[in-house]
Amino acid sequence: MTKKLTRRPSRATLLSFAIIFAVYVLVFVAEQLLPATSMLFTVLKKGATYALVAVSMNLLNGFTGIFSLGQAGFMLIGAYVYAMFTIPVADRASVYQYFDGGVIQFALPWFLAMILAGLVAALFAWLIGLPVLRLKSDYLAIATLGFAEIIRAVFQWKELGPVTNGSNMLRLFPNFNSFNITAADGHVVVYLSTIVPFLIAGVCIGLIVLLLHSGYGRAFRAIHDDEIAAEAMGVNLAHHKRMAFCISSFFAGVGGAMLAMYQTTVQAKSFTTAMTYEILLIVVIGGVGSITGSVCGSFLFVACSEWWLRFLDNEQFIGNFQVPLLRNGFRLVVFSIIIMIVVLFFRRGLFGTTELPDLFRHGRKESALK
Amino acid sequence: MSENRTVLSVENLTMQFGGVVAVNDLSMHIDEGEIVALIGPNGAGKTTAFNCVTGVYEPTNGQVLFCGKPIARNHPAGKIRKAYAGKDPEKYLADPVRLSPDAITSLGIARTFQNIRLFSGMTVFENVLTAMHLRRKSNFLVQTLRLNGAEDRAMREKTVKLLETVGLLDVADEMATSLPYGKQRLLEIARALATEPKLLLLDEPAAGMNPQETEDLSRFIVDIKNRFGLTVFVIEHHMQLVMAISDRIYVIDFGKQIAEGTPQEIQNDPVVIEAYLGGGEDDEEVTIG
Repeated sequence: MTKKLTRRPSRATLLSFAIIFAVYVLVFVAEQLLPATSMLFTVLKKGATYALVAVSMNLLNGFTGIFSLGQAGFMLIGAYVYAMFTIPVADRASVYQYFDGGVIQFALPWFLAMILAGLVAALFAWLIGLPVLRLKSDYLAIATLGFAEIIRAVFQWKELGPVTNGSNMLRLFPNFNSFNITAADGHVVVYLSTIVPFLIAGVCIGLIVLLLHSGYGRAFRAIHDDEIAAEAMGVNLAHHKRMAFCISSFFAGVGGAMLAMYQTTVQAKSFTTAMTYEILLIVVIGGVGSITGSVCGSFLFVACSEWWLRFLDNEQFIGNFQVPLLRNGFRLVVFSIIIMIVVLFFRRGLFGTTELPDLFRHGRKESALK
Repeated sequence: MSENRTVLSVENLTMQFGGVVAVNDLSMHIDEGEIVALIGPNGAGKTTAFNCVTGVYEPTNGQVLFCGKPIARNHPAGKIRKAYAGKDPEKYLADPVRLSPDAITSLGIARTFQNIRLFSGMTVFENVLTAMHLRRKSNFLVQTLRLNGAEDRAMREKTVKLLETVGLLDVADEMATSLPYGKQRLLEIARALATEPKLLLLDEPAAGMNPQETEDLSRFIVDIKNRFGLTVFVIEHHMQLVMAISDRIYVIDFGKQIAEGTPQEIQNDPVVIEAYLGGGEDDEEVTIG
């Protein structure tokens, strides 16, 4: 029984760490060898970003049982905060050309701005959580969805222009390519533009996993399993729900900052409800209640929508035979069919509630306590 | 500390849902170290009384004191005032008190549920560990970064000890819901004990158990009472269990208290026998004594 008293990692956990480490090494090596324009890196960068946001959504929807659809709103806040505080002072005049260079006349280092992005998103979550978290299930979803829409409109408001640049895009802030180490002549020596987003997402997801396996994480899961019992066992529902909401939004904000870096520009109108649905889709396909599922689902989703299914949008010829149906938009049809198949045949998602270490445990589960 | 310190005192408790008075002017007290049972036919209002004590319901009238401190106090006001069918609507006008269930639990009242409510997504071990959450001192950042090693270790040790006490240590890694029914009931008790209660409320702990299991449970309840220095308040249908362990018994019917006394007094009380056997609407086989 000593296994329970200490948190000594089991063999399965160590094996999982080895696999994750191997993936990182592989990504790093691939980045040095393959051309930087390869579609693979687009997928990996966006996949890492979406993985973080999907895990943050899973923390709320899958583990705490709060059905929120405000993720795009918190990403938008994160993206804007990051962009606003990192545009170099010299470039502000050209970015904020209609607002006399804006009111912010300093620039923060990227990682500080990224943490700030998360904190501001968490602050907004705390504020709207006060009224909204009293609601249950569908009503909560509608309220948070409404919040995301309102935020999107507010950030495009002309009066806020000196801060948000109104409906004009923010650009010229440090992006993923800024992480590449270049020689004096502009030639890239070491490519880091994919491994850094991987590391950021990895650290954040690691923190979420640690949280979920701590006392607070168990309290969140208790709320998910049975609110009445959780309350009877001394879990303060309002406090813990608010906490889960703020933490989830913090990481959604960081994810938003990563998305800003990936896109290299930020514009409020791109943070639509459709973005929240994409992330919800990733969570559902991966498995509600599985971190591993959300991460894998994210890369699968991004790869399919950006890369593997792209050919469906173009007319294809096999010899002289033109394949029927293939034309612009057909990709989305196939995509919908795949989603329907997943939902019908893998009702609990690809992973259910299984995590990576569980895959290496045979027969009766070993102590799942990390 | 005097020998007969009152742990729980319920005064003129009335709970009315619309026109239905589920609990009507119930007054009772439980002294330290006692095992007190609340019995009554189906639908008599036993669980409702429990829910008022644990903060799940806000009583319509009356007050509940735990170790002299009010944990619930209310008087009929607003809409329910006109429809109020209980007694003394003016007696508890002083500032209403309503503590949430988690606040009451942290004061030292723990409960089990009639229809088992374990955390279904967790193992047996995690179920007990989760219930210790409210006794943690460290905040979420410290816990996430695993800087609370000593505290965590102490809690895990305590969990192991608790599971050993109830005899569930060998199934600690099983999912809670995969346990047989009787063991799930034991786990509920273990989970309640993990919150470090002074007063343990058991809502029909012997429901669905056979006579042998019920006898084991009786011994178990007395055993944990002595071991953890508890006061126990139990709702039960099994007369065998109630008569074996109770120091005092309250009997209610249609929300009203109809008798109070030692097991011997209750067994011979004609009003109680009438309520159980003569009511006609109670089809459960209950034998007294």
